[in-house]
Amino acid sequence: MAETMTTGLKLGQRVPDFELTTYEPTKGDFGKFSLKDQIANKRWTILFFYPADFTFV
Amino acid sequence: MGADIVTVSTDTQFTHLAWQRSEKELNNVRYSMGADPTGAVSRMFGVYNDENGLDLRGTFLISPEGKLMGMEMNFYNLGRNIDELMRKFKANIYMMKKGGNEVCPSKWKDEGDKTLVNPGAKMVGKVHEALQGS
Repeated sequence: MAETMTTGLKLGQRVPDFELTTYEPTKGDFGKFSLKDQIANKRWTILFFYPADFTFV
Repeated sequence: MGADIVTVSTDTQFTHLAWQRSEKELNNVRYSMGADPTGAVSRMFGVYNDENGLDLRGTFLISPEGKLMGMEMNFYNLGRNIDELMRKFKANIYMMKKGGNEVCPSKWKDEGDKTLVNPGAKMVGKVHEALQGS
């Protein structure tokens, strides 16, 4: 059994800036996600974590 | 709706590409697929499992101001319900639009459903009456 994890982030708190390299299926190319850009563009973000590709999600 | 969905696992972007192109269920995917092979972002959100290097099933909603507005975390064996995710998301947008004087109770599903306006001392012990509408 895995250990229980708790997030270090609290609800209502500002999320520290972070970046992710992405694959963009609509472009068939790689891209970049950054929270700073989302804030600049006034966009909501839904982050959806899952264990691994090639499995059921 | 002014939102971007980013899926994240500890796979690389190359694996994401290969998976999306080979799995027919993913033919119509339009969201960004984020790569977190070092687990740095996953650790920040508390979904990283050091024992196997995989992420738990966590969903996080971040507002346009960069604030964490919602989170849900399930262990590996429980899938998430997209209807509930969308409900929370719509409710957050609705409440932000209303400027903070309205709250969405548990049965709220969409605009037009009953909300509670200005919950305060007057509503203590009278939530039932407030929900019946006056």
